[in-house]
Amino acid sequence: MLLLGFLFNLLAGCATFRQMEMPSLPEGLPASHELTEVPFFSQEKYQCGPAALAMAISWSGLPARSEDLVPEVYTPSRKGSLQVAIIAAARRHGRLAYEISDLESLFPEIAAGYPVIILQNLGVSWFPVWHYAVVVGYDAARQEVMLRSGTTFRKIMPFGVFEKTWARSNYWGIIILQPTQLPALPEEKAYLSAVLGLEKAHRFEAAVSGYRTALTRWPQSLAARMGLGNSYYAFGDLENSEYAFRETIRLHPRAGSAYNNLAQILMERGRYAEAREMARKAVSLGGPLQAVYRQTLKEIESKMSQ
Amino acid sequence: MCRYRKTTRYVSILMTIILGLMFMPVQSVFAAMVGTEAVLGHAEMQSAREKVRVFLDRRDVQDVLTSQGIDPAEARARVDSLSDAEVQAIVDRIDGLPAGGDLLGPLLLIAVVFFVVLIVLDLTGVTDIFTFIHPPEK
Repeated sequence: MLLLGFLFNLLAGCATFRQMEMPSLPEGLPASHELTEVPFFSQEKYQCGPAALAMAISWSGLPARSEDLVPEVYTPSRKGSLQVAIIAAARRHGRLAYEISDLESLFPEIAAGYPVIILQNLGVSWFPVWHYAVVVGYDAARQEVMLRSGTTFRKIMPFGVFEKTWARSNYWGIIILQPTQLPALPEEKAYLSAVLGLEKAHRFEAAVSGYRTALTRWPQSLAARMGLGNSYYAFGDLENSEYAFRETIRLHPRAGSAYNNLAQILMERGRYAEAREMARKAVSLGGPLQAVYRQTLKEIESKMSQ
Repeated sequence: MCRYRKTTRYVSILMTIILGLMFMPVQSVFAAMVGTEAVLGHAEMQSAREKVRVFLDRRDVQDVLTSQGIDPAEARARVDSLSDAEVQAIVDRIDGLPAGGDLLGPLLLIAVVFFVVLIVLDLTGVTDIFTFIHPPEK
């Protein structure tokens, strides 16, 4: 199967007459870099997904074994692992799955010490052979990329071939980070989406840590501040949650949702008068969520009249 | 035809009731806290609008607009009145622009400006190319 895919790949290569060069590396990036210490798990049949994830999770400082991840990641009927399953599994282990989707992001992340899990199509579009591998190094002078792939500890791929196989997944890749780490080229939306994922996976303490990390880089971010307050609230730390929303309001005095959430917390802490004031403020600011604010205000008022 | 309409009507009423029942209890439980997701989506949209604004502030873009007889300030005002989805459609085009100064750049730039110009013309009721745009009621 793989050999067949490889043959097709060669054919496709002939047909396109295209040989991509490595994109020029940003200034300050070494011409070659390899994360030689990234552990290797040889894959069982079809199970490149769990193997790739186990390597990246272990590298992020959380010992993981490929076989333990199989039930979380592998879909037997598809004989493979879906991308969302890999992302979800990383989150369940309290790790950030930060997505990248272009060629330019790859090498800076490796140089920063983050191996990148990528999805390749080793076949062609009409005969796909999907495969997860972990990029651990590159060499610009030799135009080569080093991977942990399948049963090969150190697979060297010419950049042209690598680029073509990766392009077929629209350059899908993820790096696995501790929630205290930022990628080399952090993008606010992508990072916050990754942290939000931790919140969705009910890893609230990891989410708190992720939002705090985001705030070191984007101190003004409304979503990060709201997320911080919401995550504290979710594991019952009302005091820190209240503080987080007060900070949000200080920096974003027109964020109705922050007033609303603060009102809710104050109500739960029995400070009804303050809560009502905040809820009224939220309602007066309006916006698409006004119905929610009104509901909060109503609840507070009914508690007060009891 | 008439009968068909009637059926559609019943189905839609039924759907409204079902959906109402489905979402009512959820709303009354979760009315309290606004989730991060809602805010993140909103922030995303804000950055999309910001992107269009920055784009329209570019000197080369303004030159093209002016040469087409469109006041850049007017163009900006029109874009402000676009819905979220429409702004996103413009941003998707802008994102397609390469950052470098190769030959493709100016060509794409003109294409995008042309797109924005068409939207503005649609909005002012001069043309009617995009079905999703409705000129403001006079």
